[in-house]
Amino acid sequence: MRRQTLNRRGFLKLAGVSSVTLGAASTGLPSPLRASARAKKNREERFTTYDRGVKTENFCEMCFWNCGVDVYTRDGKVHKLEGNKLNPNNRGHLCAKGNAGIQSTYDPDRIPGPMIRVGERGEGKFKQVTWEEAFEEVHKRLAPVLDEHGGESLATFMHGTGEQYAHILTLALESPNITVPAYSQCMGSREMAFALTFGTGMSGHEPFDMANTKHMIVFGRNMAGAIQLREAADFAEGLARGARLTYVDPRQSESAARATDWLQIKPGTDGALALGLIHVIIRDRLYDVDFIAKYAHGFNELQTHVKQFTPEWAEAKCGIDARTIERIAWEFAKDAPNVVAIPPRRMTRYGNDTQTVRAIAILNALMGNWGVPGGIWVRTPVPLELPEHDEPEVPDVRRADGVGEGEAYPLAPPSLGRTNGIFEATLTQKPYPIKAWLLYGTNPLSHSSIGVNGIFKAIDHLDLIIAIDTQFSDTVMYADIVLPESTYLERDDAPYIQKDKIPFIALRKAAIEPIHDTKGAYEICKGIAEKFEVEDWFEERSPREQLEALERVLSKEQLETLKRDGVLRFEEVDPYPVASGSRPAFLTGTGKVQLFVDDLVELHREHGEAFSPLPVYIDPPEPEEGEFRLLFGRTPHHSHARSQNNRILLELQSDTPVWIHPDDAGKLGIKPGDRVTIHSKTTGHTSQPEMVKITRRIRAGSVFINHGFGHRTPLWHLGNKKGTKDNYFISDGIDPISGAAAFHNGFVTITKATS
Amino acid sequence: MSKSPINTKLNKEKNLAMVIVGDRCIGCDACYVACKTDWEVPALKEAYRTKVYEVEGVDNHGNPTIGFLPTLCNHCDNAPCVSVCPTGASFKREEDGIVLVDPDMCIGCKACMVACPYDARYYDEEKQSVDKCTFCLPRISNGLDPACVTTCVGESRNFGDLNDPESIVSQLIRNATSIARLKEDEGTLPNVYYVTVSDY
Repeated sequence: MRRQTLNRRGFLKLAGVSSVTLGAASTGLPSPLRASARAKKNREERFTTYDRGVKTENFCEMCFWNCGVDVYTRDGKVHKLEGNKLNPNNRGHLCAKGNAGIQSTYDPDRIPGPMIRVGERGEGKFKQVTWEEAFEEVHKRLAPVLDEHGGESLATFMHGTGEQYAHILTLALESPNITVPAYSQCMGSREMAFALTFGTGMSGHEPFDMANTKHMIVFGRNMAGAIQLREAADFAEGLARGARLTYVDPRQSESAARATDWLQIKPGTDGALALGLIHVIIRDRLYDVDFIAKYAHGFNELQTHVKQFTPEWAEAKCGIDARTIERIAWEFAKDAPNVVAIPPRRMTRYGNDTQTVRAIAILNALMGNWGVPGGIWVRTPVPLELPEHDEPEVPDVRRADGVGEGEAYPLAPPSLGRTNGIFEATLTQKPYPIKAWLLYGTNPLSHSSIGVNGIFKAIDHLDLIIAIDTQFSDTVMYADIVLPESTYLERDDAPYIQKDKIPFIALRKAAIEPIHDTKGAYEICKGIAEKFEVEDWFEERSPREQLEALERVLSKEQLETLKRDGVLRFEEVDPYPVASGSRPAFLTGTGKVQLFVDDLVELHREHGEAFSPLPVYIDPPEPEEGEFRLLFGRTPHHSHARSQNNRILLELQSDTPVWIHPDDAGKLGIKPGDRVTIHSKTTGHTSQPEMVKITRRIRAGSVFINHGFGHRTPLWHLGNKKGTKDNYFISDGIDPISGAAAFHNGFVTITKATS
Repeated sequence: MSKSPINTKLNKEKNLAMVIVGDRCIGCDACYVACKTDWEVPALKEAYRTKVYEVEGVDNHGNPTIGFLPTLCNHCDNAPCVSVCPTGASFKREEDGIVLVDPDMCIGCKACMVACPYDARYYDEEKQSVDKCTFCLPRISNGLDPACVTTCVGESRNFGDLNDPESIVSQLIRNATSIARLKEDEGTLPNVYYVTVSDY
């Protein structure tokens, strides 16, 4: 209601009266002024009242790195999300995505309840059923598939907090084919290279100590764009404290904003640059002699091996001039050991990725930066004896994804599997038929080694697709049965336990009742298990039971802290053991940092150069004349292909302009303001016309678009048909050591669109 | 005596200011979302109380550069939006300098939106009023930091009272190696400072 004019006039008069006058006259004010004073008081109250509401503790699920969240509700509705100050993952902050979590929960396009497909796959026609009917339908349709083709004909793709339940269910149904895309579609080659070198992967919570470093060489890791909050915050902190940043990327991303040196490298040649740096460091004796003598295996072999990788050789390969390579090597070594060389995170790029990261890992080793401030910190597990649960045994049947002893990718971890291997097996129905997919929070149509066309062909072989998801993604459109999961604001989950620099436990408690007819992953997977009479595996596994089990091993004080703060930190740890004088343990075959990897010797003999036990550079495939390499990456505003129906994030980023270098644009007659189409000869696909962004921020010969767009889900009313999907144009490459995908050898032509 | 780097013209009880350490902004736009969520700012691209601009440029060698510029209402001590307002809906609090819009008095003429050199205002159809950043007055009145400061990933944004020498903002102004404000030549006497600091 708008107030009457009279009152507004009263305010106008009052505006001319000073507060001193007002105070002095307060006892004998004429009545209109007294009314105005009341109005002012009311106004003061209106402008200063803040109902923070009721707080519940949670951790974020907008991406997979689980920042601590204080959830504030007013009258049963979530009003605001704020970072938990004590959670080491975010120290009180949230990124744009984390702040926008509310919109994802209150998205009008949420899945209203369990669904059975009634139209064609992809058409988006479903009928809503009860949970009992949905579970019954899963059984009715999955049981005959498993009977006919065996348990292994079911493949599960999973990503998110409820993974443990999809994992148990799949094993209980006697399939070994469980994959987490975070390996073969994302970090696989990076993890493999660090595991071979240091005996441990770097994980999603990277231990690169950017906040305390003096110099970081960042190889294509866009900390400020592909945001993992703590890493972004540490990156900003380190730079503010004066760290040098050598940023290596064909594209000047957000992270390049404060680079001391931005090296606009030729795509796919980071390995050559790293080997050139290693050459200079060893040639000029700039490495940490003491650390190498104590902890490294194979230094003599490395020293001989890298003689060939002169700065001039590296320049010819990567386009960064030899003198710059020498200078960077000297500057980097000058600040050792408080320096760090950071590999890409999604290192599924050019097919030479494991070897590239091996060189980057060795660059770190030569600086002796392990367990040292500003280098690589060492994580510690939560020091508690946590109860262990029995799990169904992994069925004694060959995996379909080429992982395992005697298989094509013997070194890849069966716990994560090769998602690309399962795609391939579904497409070819080899080594045996894959007939059913269980998708937990995954969306292969938007990100997959075999691309959109490949997924469509693979899906044709499937008798059944079951999707557990919070939203109608592109892939959910093709599901036969949709089992909607409650969002993280609507569900309890098992305690979150993180091995870390400061290990900690965090809680997730539902802030609101589910808005729709949805359930948590535990109830969903158990519901299916009951139909197959394997629900015993779910005993004592509910989120509540897991919390109770944790509570039994905590002291009274610890429990109070956890309940009060939503997070319990274990601070009595030393993330810098080497700086403190301890001897680090490396979980490698030799117990040392492996500059030379014995485990690769046999594979090297059998399969050649790509498996070299010493780091090598292998040229990536090159585009033909007239073609461009398609690069893609993240913006700070979106999580993978999950957040593009979030209205507030769409305000920030809703399109995929095509970045092209002015020289390339000039040759093609493309001008600012033009629209262009992207075409791939390999996949036959042509994009819709997209705005062009002509900029020197992308290296000539490559084009770039944002990842996560181009959705074609008719049930998303905001995010549908926005931008172009990179998954139409990516390459189906494989890194021979890790078995992870290689997406950036996709070549395209760019054509000016006729409007 | 050298000119004070801060506004002292008005004799405010509290001299509230935002001090942004420019180098710490990574352009993540967390502030934009936290602010829009807390104040239920309309679901429109044009409606925001704070916004981060990505600024592209060229260095002396012809190489491209990028930087980030967080913007919000400057709560000017000589606020053109206040002087242009025909009803007094736009007003400046004497005690702390916060510039506010009283929705009950706003007639929606949008003169203030035109007058503001910082593009800090938008029209809220539902409230039938112009609206803007309040320095999170409801939050700061209850002992909280502004929403954008709380969420800021790079800890670029800082808020406090420049009359208090111990406040974070006073310390930053004291230790700054450079201090800038936007469009100072327009005589608006803005209260949002952009600083660089070398001493951490």
